[in-house]
Amino acid sequence: MERQEQLQGIGCSRKRKEDPRFIQGKGLYVDDVKLPGMLCGEVVRSPFAHAKIVSINKEKALALPGVHAVITAEDLKPLGLHWMPTLAGDTQAVLADEKVCFQMQEVAMVIADDRYIAADAAELVEVEYEQLPALVDPHKAMDADAPIIREDLVGKDEAGQGKRTHNNHIFTWDVGDKDATDRAFESAEVTVREDILNPRVHPSPMETCGCVASFDKVNGSLTVHITSQAPHIVRTVVTLLSGIPESKVRIISPDIGGGFGNKVGIYPGYVCAIVSSIVLGRPVKWIESRIENISTTAFARDYHGVGELAADKDGRITALRFHALADHGAFNAHAQPTKWPAGLFSICTGSYDIPVAYARVDGVYTNKAPGGVAYRCSFRVTEAVYLIERMIDVLAQKLDIDKAEIRRRNFIQADQFPYQSALGWEYDSGNYAPALEKVLEACDYEGLRKEQTEKRANGELMGIGLCTFTEIVGAGPSKACDVLGVGMFDSCEIRVHPTGSAIARMGTITQGQGHETTYAQIIATELGLSSDDIQIEEGDTDTAPYGLGTYGSRSTPVGGAATAMAARTIRAKAQKIAAHLLEVSPEDIEWDVDRFHVKGNPDAVKTMKEVAWAAYNNVPEGMEMGLESVNYYDPPNFTYPFGIYLCVVDIDRHTGETSIRRFYALDDCGNRINPMIIEGQIHGGLNEAFAVAMGQLISFDEEGNLQGNTLMDYFIPTFVETPHWETDYTVTPSPHHPLGAKGVAESPHVGGIPCFSNAVVDAFAHKGVTHVDMPHTAFNVWKTIHELGLDS
Amino acid sequence: MQVTINKVFPLDGSVSDAWNLLENIEQVASCMPGAEITETVDENNFKGSVKVKIGPMHVAFNGDIAVQEINPGEHRVHLIAKGQDSKGTSSASMDLTASVRAGESGASELTGDADVTVNGKLANFGGRMMTQVADQILGQFADNFSSRLGASAGSEDPAQTASEPEPQVQEINGLKFAWQALIGFIKSFFTSKA
Repeated sequence: MERQEQLQGIGCSRKRKEDPRFIQGKGLYVDDVKLPGMLCGEVVRSPFAHAKIVSINKEKALALPGVHAVITAEDLKPLGLHWMPTLAGDTQAVLADEKVCFQMQEVAMVIADDRYIAADAAELVEVEYEQLPALVDPHKAMDADAPIIREDLVGKDEAGQGKRTHNNHIFTWDVGDKDATDRAFESAEVTVREDILNPRVHPSPMETCGCVASFDKVNGSLTVHITSQAPHIVRTVVTLLSGIPESKVRIISPDIGGGFGNKVGIYPGYVCAIVSSIVLGRPVKWIESRIENISTTAFARDYHGVGELAADKDGRITALRFHALADHGAFNAHAQPTKWPAGLFSICTGSYDIPVAYARVDGVYTNKAPGGVAYRCSFRVTEAVYLIERMIDVLAQKLDIDKAEIRRRNFIQADQFPYQSALGWEYDSGNYAPALEKVLEACDYEGLRKEQTEKRANGELMGIGLCTFTEIVGAGPSKACDVLGVGMFDSCEIRVHPTGSAIARMGTITQGQGHETTYAQIIATELGLSSDDIQIEEGDTDTAPYGLGTYGSRSTPVGGAATAMAARTIRAKAQKIAAHLLEVSPEDIEWDVDRFHVKGNPDAVKTMKEVAWAAYNNVPEGMEMGLESVNYYDPPNFTYPFGIYLCVVDIDRHTGETSIRRFYALDDCGNRINPMIIEGQIHGGLNEAFAVAMGQLISFDEEGNLQGNTLMDYFIPTFVETPHWETDYTVTPSPHHPLGAKGVAESPHVGGIPCFSNAVVDAFAHKGVTHVDMPHTAFNVWKTIHELGLDS
Repeated sequence: MQVTINKVFPLDGSVSDAWNLLENIEQVASCMPGAEITETVDENNFKGSVKVKIGPMHVAFNGDIAVQEINPGEHRVHLIAKGQDSKGTSSASMDLTASVRAGESGASELTGDADVTVNGKLANFGGRMMTQVADQILGQFADNFSSRLGASAGSEDPAQTASEPEPQVQEINGLKFAWQALIGFIKSFFTSKA
């Protein structure tokens, strides 16, 4: 027991190894990288949402001392780099080619001695525009007279995702048995239908996006320090675009100040900095400002959906139907595994045993920034969970069934796992019903409902929100998922040194998840070495094995599995060496925390440290020296973590201000590697759920002008606004993961958002309100109050 | 970003004096703070400029003014002004109908109905201030118009009197402006009858 504790392995709330560096301000972020002779780039951006470019005059900018170049689409054309492919099979203008399609679109990049000169020069670039009518409302995108956004696609009936039917149409994606679903609706005892909007928001990580590109003209190699959640994919894309062999491209993601999906894509600024460095032969840095970050790089959501449920009169759901218009902006730069234009939206049947379902999403172009990334969630899972968790409440209200009871009646039962969902997923494990009862008891649900009834009698507004969600994370099995043709495996390479310390290099990249701490714990438990002696390295493509990066809660399900598998290969070899040292056969050896001993003889012992030493001087005949392994793990399935959340909100009926009195979050992510880090992840995810549900919104006026792209307007909750979080857990291990673990960091975001919305709507349920759109700002809530006449 | 503005300002002069001033587009333009007519293309088309400074933003708009209608019978002018700022980062357009009529308290009244559309940086930056800023600009315009009318009331040739001394083109003062806009914004809380 004591030896086990000393290892600080799986299950230990080990303090984060990266924190001493961060709290001392000694992290190394991209903007900290300063190379000799480095120049700075500044992007000239379109002030208009939709306009023809009549002319670009660079002369005044070029005349400013310290300016080296001004590049435009015309300059990139000879290199074939004025357009670039997106992850979703579309193309995106690197710099605007003859027209601009969204406000703040990249039109030119100025390269100068420093940022100040570059910024001044960017102001001097004169661009003459001829404004065109802007298309802002996705519902009008496919009107006959809608302005055409993508002239380059006119006449093409395909934009990389199957057939399209209108110049502003990108794709139609559907899943499920439409006929059976329609029949179920026709014969249903009860149906409900609601417009469900997931408004456009932005992940807004603390650090904005940026890079430092450095091309070495002598040996033709390119090094790019970049804020990327997927450095290996960046390397492959850079090679495909530039023709530089992958062996001469080195991508380094150093410390990353949060990603949340914002740092998955390839942005025009990166491409311009790389091209400028190649042309000028000097390092070029480009770092986004906050306004640029919120305005241009990868928004999330913007799903305008209609949800429907069919049920019997007891509230048992018989079918689900959904249709959404997905506003992808001016270019389809959606973040997704190649074949999934609506991501993993088909998880929308949630935690419930729904016999048939049908979902359809139509993607459309509008004059807005491109994106559609998974903001702290697996691809489109927030939208899916929001749909089912809102709709089941709508159904409960229609049938006047308690919102906890209707969930009980529909849950997939423990003995149904592995569970085959109507939309094609095989849920690995779950145990929802006992978890729900645990939360209801902890919060005294009955008491809360009683209190609510009393308050309603007094005209006071109090809401109780429930959310009992299932997520799908850990993309993913390569038979189902790839990015640009590369399967979505992940990797770990472990080297155990002669004196018994080790280094592990990963294909993932931490952005605050604490990988340096948790991966070491996995190896500590698997190899019996102290986690303090295990170094974790990520983000340098020259040293790390190829991996697909960190997003969609895939690090533990995929990278963590690779770590365990690599460690097990090492332990298997170590067992043979130990047997050799103890002069018995390997089958007669037993593993005990940090050592091998002979079966039945606990005193005949070789510790892992001793074995490590022997691996470099005394191995069995015919065995290779050394003690290392690399594993590329292709998961057999996704993992399906779940959670039961409860929120109590009090609403001021005069001002519309909301006060989150209580938020109780029970999460089940299977076996837990570091409970303290899990709790931190839950807190962080709930904060971002609170942000989205209660305040975040990227809005536009009718002409496509951004309304509020600064932190003056865009809501980032600080500790002042953030409610108190209570956390709890159950453990239902994943049967297919080597450690029985599932992803967790995104569950609180995915489950939190509908929980807040459900609480706010519940506060008005007695007045017949079944749905109100996010964000639930004081003003929006007041509007509901006012319409109902509750403020008089 | 579009705002619709409807205003009525009392004037000191008579309807006919006010109309004499209103139908002279160059005179009217010079009452607009920060504005001037830079070129007369023909009797109905002009080129002009407006300078505005709001906080850190300096915007100089150059644009075209096209007179759609001058109706002496109803004392009404209708014009459309369109412009871009010199850096190409903002654009604005205004569809304005202005008229003079007999007033209740004063001798006459100036009415203005305008649809103002702003795009680009100014729309991002000034979205919520637009109405207040437009109110302030029009308020100053009405003051200038009224005082010019007062100065020319006794004169035989209003145009001549008004043209000397040469009207001073003043850049709109940002700070003063922001302050007045803020006061206007706060006042609106207490005056709106919701």
